[in-house]
Amino acid sequence: MTTNGIERATAGDVALVVLRGEVDLSWSQQVRRAILDAMAGGGHVGVVLSEVSYIDSSGIAALVEGFQAARANGGSFALVAVSDAVRAVLELARLDRVFPIVADAADVPVCRR
Amino acid sequence: MNEPPAPRAERPARDGEARALAFVADLSQALAVSLDLRRTLTEAVNRIVEFMAAEAASLFLLDRVPGERGSGERGPGERDGGELVCRLCVGPLDLTGLRLAVGQGVVGRAVAENACQIVTDAASDPRVHRAVDAASGFVTRSLLCAPLATANGPIGALEVVNRRGGGAFDADDARILRLLAAPTALAINNARMAAERVEQQRLRREFELARRMQKALLPARRRDAFPLLAVNVPAHEISGDFYDHFDLPDGRIGFFIGDVSGKGLDAALLMVRAASLLRWAGKEGRAPGEWLARVNDELCETRLDGRFVCALAGYCDRVGRAVHLASAGFPPALLHRDGHFHDHAAGGPPLGIIAGLAYDEHTIALDGGTLYCYSDGVSDVRDAQRRTIGAEGVRTLITRYAALAPEPRLRALLGDLKRQHLVDDTTLLLIGAPTEAGLLLRRQLPAQPQRMAMLRADLRAALDAAGIDASLRERLVLAVDEACCNVIRHAYAGRADGDLDVCVRRDDDGLVFEIGDHAPPVDPAGLRAGALGECRAGGLGLALIGEVMDEWTLAPRADGRGNCLSMRKRMPASGDDDDDEAHTEEQDA
Repeated sequence: MTTNGIERATAGDVALVVLRGEVDLSWSQQVRRAILDAMAGGGHVGVVLSEVSYIDSSGIAALVEGFQAARANGGSFALVAVSDAVRAVLELARLDRVFPIVADAADVPVCRR
Repeated sequence: MNEPPAPRAERPARDGEARALAFVADLSQALAVSLDLRRTLTEAVNRIVEFMAAEAASLFLLDRVPGERGSGERGPGERDGGELVCRLCVGPLDLTGLRLAVGQGVVGRAVAENACQIVTDAASDPRVHRAVDAASGFVTRSLLCAPLATANGPIGALEVVNRRGGGAFDADDARILRLLAAPTALAINNARMAAERVEQQRLRREFELARRMQKALLPARRRDAFPLLAVNVPAHEISGDFYDHFDLPDGRIGFFIGDVSGKGLDAALLMVRAASLLRWAGKEGRAPGEWLARVNDELCETRLDGRFVCALAGYCDRVGRAVHLASAGFPPALLHRDGHFHDHAAGGPPLGIIAGLAYDEHTIALDGGTLYCYSDGVSDVRDAQRRTIGAEGVRTLITRYAALAPEPRLRALLGDLKRQHLVDDTTLLLIGAPTEAGLLLRRQLPAQPQRMAMLRADLRAALDAAGIDASLRERLVLAVDEACCNVIRHAYAGRADGDLDVCVRRDDDGLVFEIGDHAPPVDPAGLRAGALGECRAGGLGLALIGEVMDEWTLAPRADGRGNCLSMRKRMPASGDDDDDEAHTEEQDA
């Protein structure tokens, strides 16, 4: 099991939030804050989910909030390298078509769509 | 062989190498496609006699040493004590059945040296075995003998006798006979290997029957509330491990578990004897020490050729409160209670070594704990680095699955052991208070978000043990997690001293998940699921539960203190145990 964690990185103009482990109620507030903080930079944010083995509705809510903030600010927001576990929950919540999902950090759109 | 041998008047059949090669090709094909090797060989040797212009020929094959037949372990090259037997003769001299030691006579020497033998004057050659001529009246003048060579050494020899019209065989003849011997040896070897395969298949069938018989000797599943569960996985077809249990008239349950030293058929047969004796001696209800002493004396009356039996035998009550046992060289029984382990090691030496021994007894109070008895096949399991997991590894495994109900726990333990590397027969028996039917998991935990990761791990293990596939398992884990988080966030509303009571069970309809709390009453009518697909935080948890589960109800707890959320996932009824290797007993309330 991967230890839970948040890392910040950048890829060009995109601020990346790299999440690891099982995103649940015990730390989803930190995830939410990290995403909103990243948004404060330039407004282009990618959340990297390749190392996330579980996500609950509070984690999904943090992603939803980031996405809405980006839309409101004219920035962009995408989920990057989504793991199978996260994709299954997104599909279950019918949100897999709502979020922009990209395979690689370089594919995060840098202008609002 | 660039220079063809000069044609000789007395041998018109052999007028060049081309003819010889054509003959070899023809012979090879006849042997290769033969369905009746015996007949084909007779024809082949007849044609060889003609081609070589000989008066007679005989085919000798190495005989297997008695008792080694069909074992497949003795290569034809291992000739110690082997004998050559004449299997086929052509011409006036019938030697069929004649036996020669390897090294004896021309034929024996051809095999011993794996080389052609040419005898130009039989009367004066010391290699010739003379008893044959003396008995038959046949006069051997010249001989040529080629070994039947295979990759594993010669399997016999082909001998031609007396060149027609006088004269002796020469080096060219020897080369040709060697050429002819090659396809002959190949055909015989192939036929032998096919026969061995048939024999091996027969043995496999026998072992399969023995395996089924052994499995049938294990006690039947108990459908009543029963404190004892066990599983046995043989390392090979048949097991040297065993366990059994039976009811005594006074209500106690007698049980034993054992391990016969060594592996294989002899160990399996001794296992049957030891298990029968233990059952017979235990049914009389004598004290465990006396029970083992009685069986030890009985086993010592027969010669076991250095084999012995490690066993543990005892009694428990029907509610799994206490166990009274004795051990004969068996690994220590391990009590696991409230996260702590206690070894119960003492007893006596293994059964079947010296008669007249006494065995110490223990009384172990379980007090809600579980007693684990396991053969050393469990601690001898190898991890990914091929190291035995040892007693410490067994404890780690037991701790990992401690939250599960006994039946799924035993399955989870076994599944984990099997994912590692089983090297020996593996038998595991556990004794504890019987639980209700179909219970998979029961956990009480503080209603705190940081407890959820551990709960999810236990849930995954319990659902795996129940045979739920990984993608459904993850959705079910999500739904339970969402339900617990709703209780934490809304019902307890931030209070840190709340608790959660999580229970998972399987019934005929599928899986039932119950989450109890001691929070103020929640009005079910006030719960609203958000619409799925709506990009809005909040209400998603309940929507996910609705998506994953077939139904859910929220009601006050039976005692009126707190709420109970009951969720159901309908599933088709499954077979009880699709794992053919494992004989798992289930307990029912």
